[in-house]
Amino acid sequence: MADPGRARVFSSLVSVAVALLGCFLALAASLGDVGTAAKAFGEMALGGFGDVPRWLASGEASAVLRPLGESAGKASVLLLTGLSVAVAFQVGLFNIGAQGQLMWGGLAAAYVGAGVSLPGVLHVPAALGAAALAGALWAWIPTALKLRRGVHEVISTLMLNWVAVALVENWLVVGPLKGKTGAGTDEILLSAQLPRIAGESSRLNLGFPLALVLAAAVAAWLYRSTHGLETRATGLGPDAAHAAGLPVARRTWTAMGLAGALAGLAGAVLVLGSEFKYPGRLAAPYGFDGIAMALIGGNHPVGVAASSLFFGALRAGGTRMQLLGVHRGFPELIQGLALLLVAARLGWTWWTSRARSQADASEVPRA
Amino acid sequence: MRALEDVSLEIRAGERLALVGENGAGKSTLMNVLYGLYRPDSGTLRVEGRDVVFRSPRDALAHGVGMVHQHFMLVPGLTVAENVVLGAEPGRWGLLDVAAAERAVAGLSERFGFEVDARARVGDLGVGARQKVEILKALHRGARVLVLDEPTAVLTPEEADELFAVARRLSDEGTAVVLVSHKLREVLAFATRVAVMRRGRKVAEFESANTTAEELAAHVMGEPPPPPPAFVAATPGEVLLELSGVHALGPRGRPALKGVELQVRAGEVVGIAGVDGNGQRELAEVATGLRAWLGGEVKVRGTVMAEPSPALFRDAGVGHVPEDRHRHGMVSGFTVEENLSLGRHRAAPFARGPWIDLEGRSSEVARALDAWDVRPRDGTLELQVLSGGNQQKAVMARELERRPSVLVVVQPTRGLDIGAVASVRARLREHAAKGGAVLLVSLDLEEVLALSDRAYVLYDGRTVAALDRAHFDERRMGRLMLGTEAAAHG
Repeated sequence: MADPGRARVFSSLVSVAVALLGCFLALAASLGDVGTAAKAFGEMALGGFGDVPRWLASGEASAVLRPLGESAGKASVLLLTGLSVAVAFQVGLFNIGAQGQLMWGGLAAAYVGAGVSLPGVLHVPAALGAAALAGALWAWIPTALKLRRGVHEVISTLMLNWVAVALVENWLVVGPLKGKTGAGTDEILLSAQLPRIAGESSRLNLGFPLALVLAAAVAAWLYRSTHGLETRATGLGPDAAHAAGLPVARRTWTAMGLAGALAGLAGAVLVLGSEFKYPGRLAAPYGFDGIAMALIGGNHPVGVAASSLFFGALRAGGTRMQLLGVHRGFPELIQGLALLLVAARLGWTWWTSRARSQADASEVPRA
Repeated sequence: MRALEDVSLEIRAGERLALVGENGAGKSTLMNVLYGLYRPDSGTLRVEGRDVVFRSPRDALAHGVGMVHQHFMLVPGLTVAENVVLGAEPGRWGLLDVAAAERAVAGLSERFGFEVDARARVGDLGVGARQKVEILKALHRGARVLVLDEPTAVLTPEEADELFAVARRLSDEGTAVVLVSHKLREVLAFATRVAVMRRGRKVAEFESANTTAEELAAHVMGEPPPPPPAFVAATPGEVLLELSGVHALGPRGRPALKGVELQVRAGEVVGIAGVDGNGQRELAEVATGLRAWLGGEVKVRGTVMAEPSPALFRDAGVGHVPEDRHRHGMVSGFTVEENLSLGRHRAAPFARGPWIDLEGRSSEVARALDAWDVRPRDGTLELQVLSGGNQQKAVMARELERRPSVLVVVQPTRGLDIGAVASVRARLREHAAKGGAVLLVSLDLEEVLALSDRAYVLYDGRTVAALDRAHFDERRMGRLMLGTEAAAHG
């Protein structure tokens, strides 16, 4: 296990490095100027990881804390949706529906955050719990379709995303749950906001440590508990797991429920941590970014955390690239290229191992 | 890794040559080089004194080299004649001359004593007949060297006799026949010359008349073979597994079991003999809870099983060493430790409460690897990187360490080399000797006869005969397996 694992980590690191280099060269070529491109990448780093030089020069902690807060905000959402996709992968299901689960989670958090009055200690957990439940319920629809009717989850989760858009954003948020002022739902109460943990100048909030703790918990569950062992067996060898007497269907329900809950929590972190209401339209397709995080992170919670922290920082730093006239979506280009490279390697491995196993099949006597 | 190392082999016109060796010894690789599937890194191939390079089987065929693979390459929907001429069809302007094809096939059949109807659909033929069609295909292409790769693996003794009779006639007419096999007895009976391969090299060559099966086995393994274990019949005790009137569906919803009656008692190995596709797979699946039965009753240790559920059967004391190890026996991607814990993973020493006990598991697995001689002794490797024999030993270890009352094993030695076969078979006898019951399902009649205290013949989904060891008769069982002798219990 150690060796293939190490190879995967290495391959992901190489993919990310190549993507960074490739995008840098592309930027330099299109600007016709290496210096500006380097400056743009420098701004991205400063925006993502904190303006350390300014902090050292002036002693303003906010020069570091503010950018880190932005990065952490992006990273926590990426991490939660990435975990969602990775957990579903463990039972062999490709959860393309994290986006829909995230929307329901966000809406549930907004509803409980604005509509229910509770003391602070209880309000945040209640809103988070509602979001997790909403995401899980939405993920159980494709699970039921899969287990009862054999509907492929890629089709059902993908299509349910559009059902979620229709129900949440095109109906509830502009209809029954529309707020009194502006677009989106009512603002959540102060008691439901995720508390900030690095002062008022930084948007770093409880969502970030929550996501990290959840990643550690998912890792422990998957690799250290008997329940997690059964879950991974279900994904890697469903027939063998069934033959060994494991409750394959039950593990699928749990894992998909957990996947939905994690995506729902991502929606809650957006709503309770930075939007403070369900906006008219959710800004970015974080659910789909989760697929990238899961693949680049090798479907391992620690890998997903690493790639989420890195790309969270890059994407927060993208805002500062605008100063030099580079589109702030540029980091997404890097992420996309890294994903392509990782996918290409997976595809290549699959292709060569398939070719090899076919050669073996014609070679090894079977009687 | 090098599959072949400096191998020289001569094949003479009209001779019967056998190539023997364990799995991975390089037999198949060598033959694939001969048939144009692989190209050697160095060395030359000469046909009738001239250097040739085969880029594909087409080149090999053009030079008179034909091969019959273990997995037939026939189109079931076409007739025998159509299959035989496929790739070299007689006819003009793109039209197939069916009559000419049938004449050609009939001519070949008559000359070499094949009894095959040129107009029969291949899909309707049995395994033995399909193999003859494959041979006809090679002959139609003008093969003067015919390679038979493990041809008897799927045949009954009588079908095998027929095959060898045909092959003898071919060699009498001048065709060289190369038999790839690891059944040493049939090799000595058929071939005039035997080449032994081990670890990619040709290690010995004998005239059949001047050697014995023991000598061959010693060269195949690189050491003298262990003496075959003496058969010690155990005194059977109470009935541990009982199937009565069991019916079940098979592939495409067709009835596969049509009334199975069998009992396995404590202390005995009970074999199921039969030609592939007569319900063996379904029988094993019903007996382990993997497949639903439609009628009848399944009892484990006297308890009627309520529903088909592997968990229920396991709890009742059934262990299972499945036919398809990769699909049902192990989780590929799991380590040896994880695989060995599967099914027992919730109890000590594999777990402590809800958590995996990593240390307990690793020391328990280390002990089991030692006890079962699984190589290498490294529980952290993925099980799928081990050799087939070691994978099988690992799966057997997992199932037997649970101390099941009933062990259902399907094709337990398929694809294993001689050493692993002996060790797996000894373990099965040992389990029975300790008071366990073993239901052995195997397509290899020799294996059933060697291991079983009693045997049932399964034909067309029914147990058509039950025989005690004293009444084992290879010929008669072969006829029962083919349905050419009426059912009788003895």
